[in-house]
Amino acid sequence: MVKLIVIDAEGAEHVLDAEPGRSVMKAATDELLPGIMGECGGCLSCATCHGYVDEAWLSRLDPPGEEELDMLSCAVDVEPNSRLTCQIEMSEALDGLVIRLPAAQF
Amino acid sequence: MAETQLLFRKAEVPEHVPPENVIDFDLFAQPSADTDFFEYWKRLQAPGVPDFVWTPCNGGHWIATRGEDIHTIYADHDRFSSRNILLPAERNEAIRVLPTSLDPPEHRPFRSLINHALSPKVVRGLEPSIRELTVSLIEGFRQRGHCEFASEFAELLPISLFLKMVNLPVEDRLKLKALSEQVNRPDGSMTPEEVNQGFYDYLMPVLLERRANPGDDIFSQFLAGSIDGRPMTDAEAFELCMQVLIAGLDTVVSVLGFLMMFLARNAEHRQLLVDDPARIPPAVKEFLRRFPLVAIPRTVIHDMEFQGVRFKEGDLILVPTMLHGLDDRAYQCPLEVDFERRIGIHSTFGAGVHRCPGSLLARAELRIFLEEWLSRIPRFDIEPGRTPKVLYGIVGTVVDLPLVWQV
Repeated sequence: MVKLIVIDAEGAEHVLDAEPGRSVMKAATDELLPGIMGECGGCLSCATCHGYVDEAWLSRLDPPGEEELDMLSCAVDVEPNSRLTCQIEMSEALDGLVIRLPAAQF
Repeated sequence: MAETQLLFRKAEVPEHVPPENVIDFDLFAQPSADTDFFEYWKRLQAPGVPDFVWTPCNGGHWIATRGEDIHTIYADHDRFSSRNILLPAERNEAIRVLPTSLDPPEHRPFRSLINHALSPKVVRGLEPSIRELTVSLIEGFRQRGHCEFASEFAELLPISLFLKMVNLPVEDRLKLKALSEQVNRPDGSMTPEEVNQGFYDYLMPVLLERRANPGDDIFSQFLAGSIDGRPMTDAEAFELCMQVLIAGLDTVVSVLGFLMMFLARNAEHRQLLVDDPARIPPAVKEFLRRFPLVAIPRTVIHDMEFQGVRFKEGDLILVPTMLHGLDDRAYQCPLEVDFERRIGIHSTFGAGVHRCPGSLLARAELRIFLEEWLSRIPRFDIEPGRTPKVLYGIVGTVVDLPLVWQV
């Protein structure tokens, strides 16, 4: 298990244990964390698992693919560090990853 | 379970179906008016009913009766194809729709166009017009002290909004609704060929005109879209726009009907939302778990064993979304409405690549509706002596819900 820190829009910090290989979206929705939906279950069809990657971690992630960028353009309040969290796979290298959630997914 | 005359042929039981899995369940049966829609479906989870049953009705098909299997089948397009989405199977030859009947990878470019048309960004932008329309409809009958909720509200809000998004006149709604109904709840009055022709005669001139003079509506966006680098053909545009119409005209309408039937009969639940509107967003989640109403088939791609059952290539499995949120293996006391309930996975919007792309729009409409209705008409009942009318089929719906309130 690796650590995933999700900070919601109110600033509350949720420390989650995530299985390596599980996406950030799945790890968060498994815990029924509010503020993240993941409506489509991770097949890049909904843009409701939008999160902001903490600046310190940005360079350690693979860049988003074309389909993710396409769907990300559907999300609200997108910033340069925005990602669809269903596309971020937890791993030893991402132990301690910090993700902030937007005020709303839609 | 069939309680009305069969519209479609019954099939012989195939050799690979064990006799103990065979039941008689007609998707298009219309049980008596005092039947509860959800309890009717839930009979498929009664003690002793296998997790997969096979019915000879409507050309013969399996039914997945348990939530986890329902979710798995919708999500697994490698084993379960979407090539037939209507029952009986031959109706799919006459009525072709995109992208619902495509499997990946062909499905993706069409779906991508719909994803953009109904995105979080688009839905957020629509909120003011949803609210404005909701308020004006309610104010239109509030002083009267009664309304027929299905025709005076449930059909008007989502359909008017949707027809605006595709830039079609709201006056055309009855005609389009009637055609959609023959897809989801055929009554034998039209052949599937006639239904398809009806949509074609209506839509094709519109689409040709939009291709020549594009606007900012959803259909024009579709027509401008690229399908793996090539333009969309007229035939594809027709099948895509027909699907969007059918889905847009016949689902939120139905959820609104069922949830208002519930709130009219359950004053305590209603009062919780009136007293504290902050409970409305979790209530919408719970209503969506509790009132699922779509049942679509999938087709088995290869001979295989799944959950201990032998399936043959081409077998049809009806996958009722109703039976996931209502499955006691997934949710305790599933028929109870509990706004505090922790809601995880259910299949009300399907799952996988075909998951309902209109789910955010539906959630927004339901939330805004409850906020505006309950602040204006906090107490209401079903008109004494009247029984609401529910129709069964691929999409269940409420067609007659007479409500009364004190003015």
